[in-house]
Amino acid sequence: MGKTIIGISDMKVSRDPEELLITFSLGSCIGIVIWDPLAKVGGLLHYMLPQAKLDEEKARKKPYMFANTGIPLLFKEAYRLGAKKNHLQVKAFGGSQLLDSSNIFNIGQRNYQIMRRMFEKNNIKIAAEDIGGNVNRTVSLEIGTGRTVLKVSGRGEVEV
Amino acid sequence: MSRLEEIIALIQHIPPFPKVAIQVMERLKDPDVRAAQLAEVIQYDLSITANVIKMCNAAYFGLPRKVSSLDDALVVLGNETLKDIIIAGSSAGFYKGEIGAGYMLEQGELWKHSVAVAIMARLLVRHIKDVDPDSAFTVGLLHDIGKRFLSSFVADDFARIVEKVDREKCSFVTAEKNYLGINHADLGAMILEKWQFSPEQVEAVRRHHDSDALERDELTALVALSNGLVISMGIGVGVGGLATELHGKGLKRFAIGSMELQLCMADLVMEMEGAGEIFDL
Repeated sequence: MGKTIIGISDMKVSRDPEELLITFSLGSCIGIVIWDPLAKVGGLLHYMLPQAKLDEEKARKKPYMFANTGIPLLFKEAYRLGAKKNHLQVKAFGGSQLLDSSNIFNIGQRNYQIMRRMFEKNNIKIAAEDIGGNVNRTVSLEIGTGRTVLKVSGRGEVEV
Repeated sequence: MSRLEEIIALIQHIPPFPKVAIQVMERLKDPDVRAAQLAEVIQYDLSITANVIKMCNAAYFGLPRKVSSLDDALVVLGNETLKDIIIAGSSAGFYKGEIGAGYMLEQGELWKHSVAVAIMARLLVRHIKDVDPDSAFTVGLLHDIGKRFLSSFVADDFARIVEKVDREKCSFVTAEKNYLGINHADLGAMILEKWQFSPEQVEAVRRHHDSDALERDELTALVALSNGLVISMGIGVGVGGLATELHGKGLKRFAIGSMELQLCMADLVMEMEGAGEIFDL
């Protein structure tokens, strides 16, 4: 099976049943997995920050760095390969935080909140999620089967 | 011999920091030092020189022809860039091989994390002034050196350490110290002391996981913040994950808020693209 690694601020959609999309080390970043079981089209996005308005120039160069520019593109690209909105299974992982009582380092939480707001506005349901805490997550998607595996460093892996 | 004694005894067997690299650090104390003066020093160490020349030839720099000597490198690369490369080339040898397995770090991940923290440290100098950028970069590169030597002990007690972190929601270094008698920050500081780094640099390594690090001296605050952000981004963190305690209230005195933190993270992503090839990540 061909393995494609999705780095920080990157995204990939595919309809190659032999392809595995994987992203390593989601800390406060969020990884969104989408998959259409009928079209056998899937995608994986690894975004790092909530809002593109932080730095418009970087958002133009790297739209997948931000939730509000990356998430719409993930769906658009999947539709382009034949996925349908009402078939898509959507899963989300990451959004961890450092141990900080002052909550200044709450980027994981912000990343999650903006995603929830965007999904609610667009009537997208989350089929599975594993969010928050202080762990480090790796997520993979098999395009042919939709098999999604979550690995938490030092704690083993589960299918989700 | 207790385990703690066994760990501390290890320090005697840690190879010296390359002599040439120490001289580089010495010269770096002068903030106006030129890369040319550093090159004079490193030319006598073949492996560091080879490292530096290889880094200079990364396609990232787009040099029209291959650099084959330090003199060439000096002509084509800027002073700051070459300084970073010389510092990194002097330290790279300590990060070779499978050195972070006890922390569930794949080969090369500890080096990648260290380079990311070094680059982030240099970025943060724009907010945390009064810190010498070269010192920030150097300590960033070496802050986790203790992990290299503690890794196999962590592996021995792996299940208990992870269980304590999960059960008590404590930081990884707290659990590390609980079972091993020492954490990687303390061990790293002892190693830097042995290598005769400055007291400020030793202190910054020792305290890089302290929850109140941001309220301490500038270099300590800068390295702890840099490490915290890189951990948050998930770069080379392994089993410790984000279980590190860092109280953000100390950021106020540097006028750093969430926006500044996010901008630094965004800048690091851009910088890491070029860095991947230069530093062999």
